[in-house]
Amino acid sequence: MPEYLTYALVLLSLGAYVVLDGYDLGVGMLSLVDRDERRRREYNELIATAWDANESWIILAGVALWAGLPGAYATVLPGVYPPLVAMLFAVILRGMGLEFQSASGTYRRGWGLLFGGASLAVTLCQGLVIGAVLSGLPQQDGHFTGGALAWLTPYSVLCALGLVCVYLLAGAAWLQDKTEGTAHAWAGRLGRPLLGATVVAALVLGFGLEVADPQHFHFEQPLRATLFGLAVAAAAVCGAVAWYGFGRRPDWRPFAAVLGAEAAGLLALVAATAPVVVPPSLTLHEASSPHGSQVFLVVGVGLCMPFVLAYNIYAWWVFRGKFREPARQPPTATAPDDRSTDGTAEPFTPRPESRVVVIVRRTLLTLLGILLAAVSQDIFGGESTWVDPLGIALLSGTALVAWILGDRRDGRLGEYDLPGGERP
Amino acid sequence: MASSSVVELSRWQFAITAIFHMTFPALTVGLSLLLAVAYTVYVRTGNPLYLQIFRFWKKIFAVGFGLGVVAGTVMTFEFGLNWGIYAHAVGPVIGVTIGMEVITAFFLEAGFIGIMLYGDGRVKPRTMALASWMVAAGTLLSTTWILSANSWMQDPAGYTEVDGQFQATDWGKVLLNPAFGYRFPHMLLAVLISASWFVAGISAWYLVKRRASALPFARRTLSVALGVLAILMPVQLYAGDATAVFMGGHQPAKLQAFEGNWKTDNNGYNLVVIPDTDKGENDVRIEIPHLGAVIGHDLTGRAEVPGLLQTPPDERPNMWSAFYGFRAMYFTALAMFATAFAGLVLRLRGRLFTSPRFLRWLVWMTPAGIIAITGGWITAETGRQPWVVYGRLRTADAVSHLSLTEAALSLTGFVLLYATLLTLWIRYIVRTVKAGPEPVTDLRTPAPEASVA
Repeated sequence: MPEYLTYALVLLSLGAYVVLDGYDLGVGMLSLVDRDERRRREYNELIATAWDANESWIILAGVALWAGLPGAYATVLPGVYPPLVAMLFAVILRGMGLEFQSASGTYRRGWGLLFGGASLAVTLCQGLVIGAVLSGLPQQDGHFTGGALAWLTPYSVLCALGLVCVYLLAGAAWLQDKTEGTAHAWAGRLGRPLLGATVVAALVLGFGLEVADPQHFHFEQPLRATLFGLAVAAAAVCGAVAWYGFGRRPDWRPFAAVLGAEAAGLLALVAATAPVVVPPSLTLHEASSPHGSQVFLVVGVGLCMPFVLAYNIYAWWVFRGKFREPARQPPTATAPDDRSTDGTAEPFTPRPESRVVVIVRRTLLTLLGILLAAVSQDIFGGESTWVDPLGIALLSGTALVAWILGDRRDGRLGEYDLPGGERP
Repeated sequence: MASSSVVELSRWQFAITAIFHMTFPALTVGLSLLLAVAYTVYVRTGNPLYLQIFRFWKKIFAVGFGLGVVAGTVMTFEFGLNWGIYAHAVGPVIGVTIGMEVITAFFLEAGFIGIMLYGDGRVKPRTMALASWMVAAGTLLSTTWILSANSWMQDPAGYTEVDGQFQATDWGKVLLNPAFGYRFPHMLLAVLISASWFVAGISAWYLVKRRASALPFARRTLSVALGVLAILMPVQLYAGDATAVFMGGHQPAKLQAFEGNWKTDNNGYNLVVIPDTDKGENDVRIEIPHLGAVIGHDLTGRAEVPGLLQTPPDERPNMWSAFYGFRAMYFTALAMFATAFAGLVLRLRGRLFTSPRFLRWLVWMTPAGIIAITGGWITAETGRQPWVVYGRLRTADAVSHLSLTEAALSLTGFVLLYATLLTLWIRYIVRTVKAGPEPVTDLRTPAPEASVA
């Protein structure tokens, strides 16, 4: 029984990832098509507030798979090594483009292109991975046994193209929700053609799965057939709502509908394939880890999940509504800057001191330092255990007192005072 | 059975990606605390100096954190990509620990970082402060879980083996394994210390350059960083020594390798060795007599440091990496201790901000903590070899069914990508530091009388 809960956890995180990072990647790909630099930067900034949290879900999916279904994790990952490593490269490049763009303050063409191109690459690689797993991997006893190109099948290529359509659609729906003006109108116009492409892709991939997947689907079981039918129907309804909502107010409707369609599509896939997790033959039961580990994982994650969802929703709510340029609080006043006014920091003139005094003092301090370092390393631990901890407590305590006193003295001397007002 | 070249390439790849990833948490854990403290002080006092500190360090933190996240994503998948057999064997134990890390720590950081970095003006200042503390709490929790997982691999406890798969019998013993009690405090102190050197070095640079608009800012952060260092460095040397003694007891081969002796006949402390692994002896050895025994807690200076020949040949780690990793950590630690001590003396004499040679030296110490952490991890991980789970699972038996081409191509890709990324990151930091903190003026007590007069 716990393996079904673990499976649900993996699916929940995978679903959350597809839903959340899907729009994220879609906006990235759409930014390649938009010529306007100001809007490209806007797309980047839209994503910058959320991508860390969105990407966390794929990490949770990966780790939950590892902890709960180690057989599946150890079979799938080596089997899809090239596309998955390529995806990781693209994830890194995308994060780099995004963060450096966001930090640069203005639009940089190179970072913008990197962000968009890497978004496309991540999507393609993910599609290849999903397609490869669905077409089945050569395996034995929970280990991958195939060759380096086992992942490359016609179905996995189709899957990659299909996923691009899905993510583009989610990106367009999200842009309609979050932007205004030209970008808003553009997203509204893009919606329906992309939705059409997604429907075609879903049909091709759905019927293609019959051919590509080596396992036999058991649609004669009534529960399975009902669930599958309901999920497909829900996806169709959501698709229709999205079709109607593009280019119309309220702006959030197409995005919500696309999310619903994605979730329903994933459920339909699960209803068709469960309990096989890695076709052709690796089932949930064989792949799962021992009972104790699953219970620990499910209970631990289950207890944390409400909090995680709560603060994720809160973070989402903080950035609700249309995008606006973050209020750049201007510096309260411009201070006279730097090199021209070097004289404000007075050069230090040491008091004249006898050379001998300096040498003696430095020698003594060096010896004291060596002694203290020796004490810190527990040199006297072989003789008696209390000497060194006591010495360290004294040393750190002295440092703390010296820090507090020195810091307060410097504060009184005005070392930390900003130019401008007087301190009260 | 995978070929030995696939094992070697996979080991290199894991080492490079892990070291690269570690560089970022080594800074961001400590910086997140600095940011949370600075913003809280700003909220409580209204002093814009702390807002200036928050905004400047936020820029460096944000990019470092983002790169840490993507490099961490790589780590999550690499366990299964290159080490499928290992992943299958330890999934029920390590997978669960890392799963808990993701749900409790990773999500906490990622959920609040958006608010912390972009929330200015959208949320109340108190909420900003709370978000900063949540990010800091996330980074600290993350350190805890990861150290628990790694320490279990160093010194496994609370498990049974069923059909080549480890199963937890006592989660308390798995999570709070004996090695964790030593290695976690050591690492926690290490990340706080390395962030402090980074802050101290950059602050000192502004003082060396006498940049007028940044002087109060630089003095404030330098004072905090050196204060933290003066308190923590002695504790860290003690924690490090305790860790070395503990690991030396549980993994004798590691201690034998990082002390650089083959035969057990040396009571000196080796500074430089050139080991010859095949003959089992050192070609060159420079040592300080008797010091090895003294550091091993024998004040008479006679006790001999154990040598690697005590360990059977097929269970010996590589002496090069263990020895020089340890020396990089230890010599840097001594330099850090001396610098922190000198800073304490200068503070007592009231010369902390005006001693040009000390400030210039501090600029050189900027990466000291990162160097020491890298060296320490190289010792910990290569010293555990040839085991991946100490005494239980050999690294050579843990690798995935991969072709040589796949392993070679991915390794090349990671090396090129990470080299580029590291260059860009360093260039970004240099530029940000040169641009300096945005100037602010203290307007809390506008003094109209003064301007009239």
